[in-house]
Amino acid sequence: MYLQTTTLSETISGLLGLDGVIGDVVGGLVGAFLVANIMLIMTAFAGPWAKRKITAAFGDRIAVNRIGPFGLLTIVTDAVRLLSKELIVPEGVDRPAWDIAPMVIPFSALLGFAVIPMGNGIQLADPETGLAFAFAVASIASLGIVMTGYASNNKFSLIGALRAVAANIAYEIPLVITAASVVIFTGSLRMSEIVAVQAEPLVSVAGITIPTWFAFVNPFAFALFMVANLAEIGRNPFDIPEAPTEIVAGYQTEYSSAYFVLIYLGEFIHIFLGGALAATLFLGGPAGPFLPGFVWFVIKIWAFFLFTQWARSAVPRLRVDQFLDIGWKGMLVLSFANLVLTAIIVGVIA
Amino acid sequence: MSDWIAIGAMGLVGVGIPLAMMTVSALLRPSVPEQGKSATYESGEVPTGTARVQFNIQYYMVALLFVVFDIETVLIFPWTVIYRSALEQGASLATVLVPMLLFIGVLVVGLVWAWRNGAVKWVKSPQANRRKTERQDA
Repeated sequence: MYLQTTTLSETISGLLGLDGVIGDVVGGLVGAFLVANIMLIMTAFAGPWAKRKITAAFGDRIAVNRIGPFGLLTIVTDAVRLLSKELIVPEGVDRPAWDIAPMVIPFSALLGFAVIPMGNGIQLADPETGLAFAFAVASIASLGIVMTGYASNNKFSLIGALRAVAANIAYEIPLVITAASVVIFTGSLRMSEIVAVQAEPLVSVAGITIPTWFAFVNPFAFALFMVANLAEIGRNPFDIPEAPTEIVAGYQTEYSSAYFVLIYLGEFIHIFLGGALAATLFLGGPAGPFLPGFVWFVIKIWAFFLFTQWARSAVPRLRVDQFLDIGWKGMLVLSFANLVLTAIIVGVIA
Repeated sequence: MSDWIAIGAMGLVGVGIPLAMMTVSALLRPSVPEQGKSATYESGEVPTGTARVQFNIQYYMVALLFVVFDIETVLIFPWTVIYRSALEQGASLATVLVPMLLFIGVLVVGLVWAWRNGAVKWVKSPQANRRKTERQDA
């Protein structure tokens, strides 16, 4: 099964009436700028505003309600405040690694969004290896974190970066193997096909058709994927790379001003990328009743964001050795069991 | 091909946005160098030594294991892509599933071996163990 879908870059080059390589380049650049700005706007809401509101609501407090309606203008003031802060360059930092690292972290997460189908034809590119590409570029962020940790010349940063690497190597394999169990159903790594397969009806109950979202077909894989995802994006109970009560702020301890904004931004885009991957693989991508696809996509990734913030407020942090034990002795074994079982069940039914 | 051009364009935008923010910030922000401001943070104390030290990362063996499993996932992905269509075209389970089960089986044996030999165990440093016994003695 191969569906010919139109990607966002092709739509834009078609609208502009450009053909060939020039059309591809212009369409790609405009499309990429649009997609990146969609994510920047969401991050602007999530970082300075929604995160504080949600955390305050969990703690039965009131937060950010001073500036603008519902405190929404806090986003503007915070952006100006953070960008106009003095950049303090600590002694003995390893430049230019210290300056490049804040660019690598958002770069990695933004690049992942190039292949995510957001509904209503908003998908920048749809290569045949989409899923593998998304996982590959999402891992580049670890490189940025190692650069921050080593270049900062700070012991807390170093420990934070090493912990981030430990987290990444322990939970990357369960994450990818669980995704592979979905690929057994779809038979394709192309994102648009993974979404299309999930549009088929699973069962019909009282006139309501439940689609074959893989969260319904294989809830066990969905649970595994969510846990591994939380660890990959470094949120509670797996927030050991930052662990404010243990190692100050981990790898970002020495960063201030725009550099800090970029690292923070990269982390939030990464959370949304995790949500987007979970939505695409397990929740039918942008599919949903009544509302347009893009709205459903936004609802799904914000639901994932809310889930991470809920975990952040409600779940205590694991110790670093427990964290690695769960990864290597629990998640790895379970994810391989899931893959083998899925393969056997699909093989017996098919 | 247009897909990869679009992805390359996303790469450019992904570098351009951080650069733009750094530039805007460089135009806006003040620079007030003061003594002591640029010291690295060490809970308010004067920093001792550098952070470029030898450090027990605790997961060297695990990192080796990771390389093995990572290559394994690379081999598993093509198999998952063709698995279902191969079955639908009439290939038997013995030819499609059993070789992969054997392959995963070999790796599981490797993991069990590593587990039993303590490769995935968090080893406390001798100093930490000593401190713990001292606390218990006191």
